[in-house]
Amino acid sequence: MTLHSSRPDARTDLLHGTLDMLILQTLQWGPQHGYAIGQTIRAQSSDVLQVEAGSLYPALQRLAKKGWVTSKWGTTEANQRAKYYRLTPEGKKQLLREESRWTELVAAIGRVMSWNRP
Amino acid sequence: MFDKADFDDEIRAHLKIAAAERVADGASPKDAELDSLKEFGNVALTGEAARRVWVPNWLESVFDFVSDIRYSARVLAKSPVFSLTVIAVLTLGIGVNAAVFTLLKSMALNPLSGIGDSSQLSIIVNETDKGRKAGLSYRDYQFVRDHDQSFSGLAASGLLAANFGRGKNAKPIYAELVSGNYFQVLGVRAELGRTILPSDEVAPGRHPYAVLNDGFWRRDFGADPNIVGKTIEINNFKLTIVGVADPSFHGMIVGYDDEAFIPVMMAAQMGANVGSLQSGASTDVLADRGAGILDVFGFLRPGVTAPTASAQLKTLSATLMQEAGISETKQQLTLLRIWESPYGGQTFLLPALVVLAVMGLFVLTIACANIAGLVLVRGMSRRGELAVRLALGASRSRVVRLLLLENLVLAIPGAILGMLLAARAIPFLTSYAQTMAAPQRLFFNIQIDRLVIAFAAAVATASALVFGFVPALRSSRIDLVTAINEDSSPRGAARGRLRSGLVIAQVAVSLLLLVGAGLVTRSLDAARHAYPGFDPNHVTAIDIDLRANGYTPARGRVFYRQLLDAVKADPGVESATLASTMPLNLTGVREQRVEVDGYTPRKNEDLGFESATVGPDYFSTLRIPLKAGRGFEDRDDETAAPVAVVNTTFAQKFYAGADNAIGKRIRVGTGGWRTIVGVAADIKYSQINEPPRPYVYQPLFQAYRWSMTLHARGSGPTNAMVEQEQAHIATLDSDLPIIHARALRDTLPGATVILEFMSAFLFVFGASGMALAGMGIYGLVAYTVKQRTREIGIRMALGATTVAVIREFLGRGVRLGAIGVGVGVAGALAISRLLASVLFGVSATDAISFTRAVAIVLGGVVLATIAPAWRASRTNPLTALRHQ
Repeated sequence: MTLHSSRPDARTDLLHGTLDMLILQTLQWGPQHGYAIGQTIRAQSSDVLQVEAGSLYPALQRLAKKGWVTSKWGTTEANQRAKYYRLTPEGKKQLLREESRWTELVAAIGRVMSWNRP
Repeated sequence: MFDKADFDDEIRAHLKIAAAERVADGASPKDAELDSLKEFGNVALTGEAARRVWVPNWLESVFDFVSDIRYSARVLAKSPVFSLTVIAVLTLGIGVNAAVFTLLKSMALNPLSGIGDSSQLSIIVNETDKGRKAGLSYRDYQFVRDHDQSFSGLAASGLLAANFGRGKNAKPIYAELVSGNYFQVLGVRAELGRTILPSDEVAPGRHPYAVLNDGFWRRDFGADPNIVGKTIEINNFKLTIVGVADPSFHGMIVGYDDEAFIPVMMAAQMGANVGSLQSGASTDVLADRGAGILDVFGFLRPGVTAPTASAQLKTLSATLMQEAGISETKQQLTLLRIWESPYGGQTFLLPALVVLAVMGLFVLTIACANIAGLVLVRGMSRRGELAVRLALGASRSRVVRLLLLENLVLAIPGAILGMLLAARAIPFLTSYAQTMAAPQRLFFNIQIDRLVIAFAAAVATASALVFGFVPALRSSRIDLVTAINEDSSPRGAARGRLRSGLVIAQVAVSLLLLVGAGLVTRSLDAARHAYPGFDPNHVTAIDIDLRANGYTPARGRVFYRQLLDAVKADPGVESATLASTMPLNLTGVREQRVEVDGYTPRKNEDLGFESATVGPDYFSTLRIPLKAGRGFEDRDDETAAPVAVVNTTFAQKFYAGADNAIGKRIRVGTGGWRTIVGVAADIKYSQINEPPRPYVYQPLFQAYRWSMTLHARGSGPTNAMVEQEQAHIATLDSDLPIIHARALRDTLPGATVILEFMSAFLFVFGASGMALAGMGIYGLVAYTVKQRTREIGIRMALGATTVAVIREFLGRGVRLGAIGVGVGVAGALAISRLLASVLFGVSATDAISFTRAVAIVLGGVVLATIAPAWRASRTNPLTALRHQ
């Protein structure tokens, strides 16, 4: 699960990768601004995953750099200015890849964890 | 790309939305704003993290590095005394070495300016089996040039000490006789007009052209833009100026500023001759295989190595010998690097520079040991900080890296300042050399160039590693518990061992330096007081050159006779004579082949000796004793039987004694047989520290020369005599230029100038080395004392006396000093062979120099130890104990 294969620090890469996947997943249903992405992830995870702005915004930049999302200024329903992020076709492909890897990983971890269970 | 303004905008929008949501949930606008800001976290950090996403990885490591450097600089700025001390010590250490290196560069590594890379130049000389190197004759050069396959081109040139202009305004210059391809081979362009071209090397005497050097053109022709086509008179011969060479070019001869370049075809017209026998323009100097007037050089073809070229040259050499029908004398064409060339300033300066380079490295060693001490002590006081870093998870290598980086941050200003120091000091030295050489001009390639900068950078980096590495490693191996508990009790003998090692190293190396300085100073002293074999007092030395006024040999002889008669008629003058070379002239003169009647040279024996042409009464005027026979007299003129005088060493070598030499016959160069009529005692011909060597004298009126020095001896003031003689010359020929006029005594410093130069350098080296070592030892002892304050307090509380405490510290200091002295003496003995090459009148193991150096060093150690020890003894036991 390496997005930055040249970086030595695999631990952060794992975290980065997971957050990236969550963001892509959130954007699947349509463009959203940063604050809404954070709130969505939080709500969807029943408040378990709290994405800090300090991680969220660098992650969005990372995705934009890769070309998986694009951004555009727009207005919210409450008529406030906000920057909206939209999934690109490449982003969609990446999401599918991430998803299948994630499923594999969860299944693998699950097998390991249940191995010596009575 | 990352757009900071846009990003900030986005964050603001985020905060607004978050706040609005909170307000909608019922919070007050103010609370909502604060809460959303709190929830967001660090805005600046987020911006920074977002920005860094866009930074490529390599750039990021550069940023890391820069931030490390910034951190280092901040840390160092916090301890300015430490930092400035280190920079100052390094400046001295690097400055000394950069200066010596620059000199070494200007003499050997890249001595020529205006040529791509003069260190890549290869020189071809004729070398006898005895190792005597001589130039090639023009015919040999032609042969080698036409048959060689290893060079991309072979050019040739010969130094010509010439007169520029005519009559009273004539001025001595250095010029070069050059082959047609000279400028092409060296890759030097003309700044104005053209260079000398291959078409200028067709027929002897038919190419009366000259190319000027830029400085000459500016100084003597006011940078005349229309100079091309004008004529210049050199050695009484008119040459047409065809161009001005590139401003950076100063000719091919190391240390000389060659002001004009003239086709070698004009050798005869320019009066190039081989020794003293040529009288006037001989047309066959170019055809004479014995006239080795040319230095031959070129760049090797790409892909050709020096050994390959040497091998090819060997084959070529054999063919050449066969063709020339030479079989009895073994001569070999040899490939040399530029610093091995037999011509130029490096021939007599290089040994001194090598010694200085080694000594300079010693100064640097002390500087490094000194700084290592400082870094070590500082590392101890920084143990807390480092321990925290390690505790927070910084890896050991990261801490070591940071510490090394700190050293590098200090080394770089040290290197720059050191280079500036060198750049300031060197012109001072060369201008001194120029005053000694005036009116002829010298040139040294002393610019700070890439080579010098690379050297300084390498030295700085190496020293940063040396003085930083061991202490850094040690600092990183901190025992966390003790460090954090701030327990400063002396722990482990290892740290003490390193400190002791540093003290010993500094003592040892400063001893080496002091021994070197002492030996050279004593040499200089001995050289100044040594009797050179002649009496230089109350004798004049006035140089004239008849070529400048176009004298024929016949008219010249008349002039010489009239001059001697006029001078001798002066009431104050006891005797007067003329000589072609002055004794103790530093560089020596070109050797000539000498044939000895009845002596069959052993196979491979090389009979080349220096010789001088001297007038009647030469030996009595200079008070050189005659061991047998007589000196030259008025009767030894052009009509009389040819005679010669040899020196004692010559007589000893060939005739086993002075008395046996009288009546024997010799031939000098291509001249006829001469009968030896006298044997003169040996004198010092070039340098005061030269070994005895065979020497031959020929009488002036049988071996005419146009450039002579007038010597007159008289008991009156020598300066008055000098003026009187100048007046005589003016009376005889008011247009004749007088090149130098001074007392012979005043020319002698030239013979000791190298020793003087070295002793000045080594004095600075020795003094700075000793000062550094003293400071270093003081610092280390003071630190030890500080560390042991508590222990001393306890001991004093238990009744130890002041004297006992002082004695203990002093004893330890002196013990380390003694070990250092032992190591230093061993080192000095080990390098005595190196020193022996430059010493005079003292052995390299001279007891006085050694004793003095040991005394100074031990004195320094005691001084550096006693002050902190005394302070330790004043420790108030109560204060010391209350410390914790």
